[in-house]
Amino acid sequence: MIQRKERKPYWRHTKFQMVASLLPFLMILVVFPLYAEPLNSKLFLGFPLGYFLAAHGLILIALFTIASFVNRQDAIDHWHGAHEDS
Amino acid sequence: MSTTQRNRLVNPRLGTYFGIFVSAFVSLLLIAVIAEQLGVPDVALRWSMLLAPLGLYAAIGIAAHTQEVPDFFAAGRRVPAFFTGLALAVTAIGGVGFVSMTGLLLINGSDALCIVNGVVAGFVVCSVGVAPYIRKFGCYSVPSYLGRRFDSRLLRVVTATILCAPLLLFIIAELKIGLIAASWLTGASERAMAILFAVTIVSAIGLGGMRSLSWSGTAAALAVIIAIIVPAAVAALEFTNLPIGQFTHGPVLRAIGKLEHTQGIPVPILSPFVFDFAGTGFEPLTRRISAPFSSLGSASYVLTSLMLMMGVAIAPWLLPRIGATPGVFDARKSLGWAVFAYGGLMLTLAAVAVFERSIVMKELVGQSTGTLPQWFSSLVAAGHAAVDGRLPNLPLSSFAFKRDAALFTLPIFNEYPAALLYLSLAGGVAAAFASASATIFALGSIIAEDGFNGGHWEAPSATPRLLVARAAIVFTAIIGAALAVALPGDPLMLVLWALGLCGAAIFPVVMLSIWWKRINAWGALACVIVGFVVAFGGILAAQANWLGIPSALVSIFAIPAGLLAAAIGTRIGPAPSRQVLELVRDIRVPGGETVYDREQRLLRLKQRQRPL
Repeated sequence: MIQRKERKPYWRHTKFQMVASLLPFLMILVVFPLYAEPLNSKLFLGFPLGYFLAAHGLILIALFTIASFVNRQDAIDHWHGAHEDS
Repeated sequence: MSTTQRNRLVNPRLGTYFGIFVSAFVSLLLIAVIAEQLGVPDVALRWSMLLAPLGLYAAIGIAAHTQEVPDFFAAGRRVPAFFTGLALAVTAIGGVGFVSMTGLLLINGSDALCIVNGVVAGFVVCSVGVAPYIRKFGCYSVPSYLGRRFDSRLLRVVTATILCAPLLLFIIAELKIGLIAASWLTGASERAMAILFAVTIVSAIGLGGMRSLSWSGTAAALAVIIAIIVPAAVAALEFTNLPIGQFTHGPVLRAIGKLEHTQGIPVPILSPFVFDFAGTGFEPLTRRISAPFSSLGSASYVLTSLMLMMGVAIAPWLLPRIGATPGVFDARKSLGWAVFAYGGLMLTLAAVAVFERSIVMKELVGQSTGTLPQWFSSLVAAGHAAVDGRLPNLPLSSFAFKRDAALFTLPIFNEYPAALLYLSLAGGVAAAFASASATIFALGSIIAEDGFNGGHWEAPSATPRLLVARAAIVFTAIIGAALAVALPGDPLMLVLWALGLCGAAIFPVVMLSIWWKRINAWGALACVIVGFVVAFGGILAAQANWLGIPSALVSIFAIPAGLLAAAIGTRIGPAPSRQVLELVRDIRVPGGETVYDREQRLLRLKQRQRPL
């Protein structure tokens, strides 16, 4: 069980992790598609690069974002003693 | 390895059970292939590919019947992350997301990827910002979460009423897709198929609620995965010599691009707000497949993905599933599995669309009406494709296809055995079944819990509570099936509207309820009402062509209005009570007992101590 005085630092840490996970991902989500056309002249694995990034790239980045978030947030939970009882 | 209490809850034989289901489904396919060669009548094959899987889902649902309230509404909180993720991936935008999506990728090309981007982003936002806290709170529906979080019964009832509209739109859209697939499969009328769907869904989720939904939904999700992957893998072997078309369709795509270049297919320059996705009718192939922004303007592309992101992140038919995971850690992880499964399926669909386009370029374009291959004539005769034979040496734009047929026509394009076509159609039925039953359960439990029993916090005892919930599920299924047959409409637009309305109404308030401690009930109420009214009015106005913005993305503009209303309401209203602040601090910490379960436990204790 989390101690009372740990709550504030825990939440500060969690908020920082949330911004660190979401901000880069959302920026990629908004900015990538706008550059798809010039990128399409390059190739990657036989795909036009713009298409590859919009289809495979974003999914891979999302997987990486969630995996790193789950990992880091679990570490934060344990560091502050906020993890679930097991 | 230590066995935690969370892990002890989970049934260790789940993998075996679903292994058995997958084997049964695959052997059904193999039997169908063999029976077709042996000359078994076509009708028997078609009906067995429809009824056998549907019967299995219903049987799994009935086997998971329950009389316990936590089992009925949250599957006893013991659905592991992987299975939750599978179900989330298949039900996020459901049958529309597979069936219409393939058509969009075929007709509109890479612009359709904005839908994939939006759903994937929705999973990410949900995992980081919503799911862990909703799971810690543990409420059975979104309106009860909001009501309890702000300690306001008015907010609970208002949210429940408002959410009925988008949920009903979503149910109608999913059932429409299911009806298309089922009546193509059997040749029976849509009305008969609607009755079949309603009966199957009610028998699958009526007895066991979320417990049945979890397991029959997982079975349906596995069926969808098999039905989409198998024909695509066979086609990929043919085109690229490897069965992983998801990663090898690049050269095929470039070959199409070169052919398009030599034929001089124009690359249009669109204004940013153009939104020109294919409708349900015949759509000629006039766009290049990998040219970005040839049917959506750049602003439309980004706004559509943001709108879908907000809708999926708080979708009221997905959040109850997150409440069924064993813990906060698993809730976060399940969204990762969802991205994995959804992403894999969408890349498969992209490969399917590219292969189909390649066949069109190679076998159809440049022919004359007399020399078109036999499979294409059969498609035209069945009403799934059309050709405009006025020009000599038929150009690409003289071929038109129906959007919602594209996923199922891959086996016909390649002249595979009919069993593979029936498998694809069974996959469409399974996707529609999974998402329609999830949404019908969500709407039914909202009607029962937050409408009928929404007046007071103390829930009635188990028997009447479950009875009301079951009645609401039956009612919702009947209404949904009736409206799906009676109402006209484009399933894709219905889904976009539903997600837009959900996002506009409750995305800001759910996010703020977690991340802004000081928001009060007034702010929340203002946020929900203003967001919904602006989005709803915007959609109506855009449909009447008053705004100059497509109705599919108008609801994104309701988000700032909702946020503003939340700020003003919070400023005017009283500060949240100490009890509510304590509740917020509690849901922010993963450790400790689930808030809702603790409330119910204390309530039972209190009732037991009451003098007789």
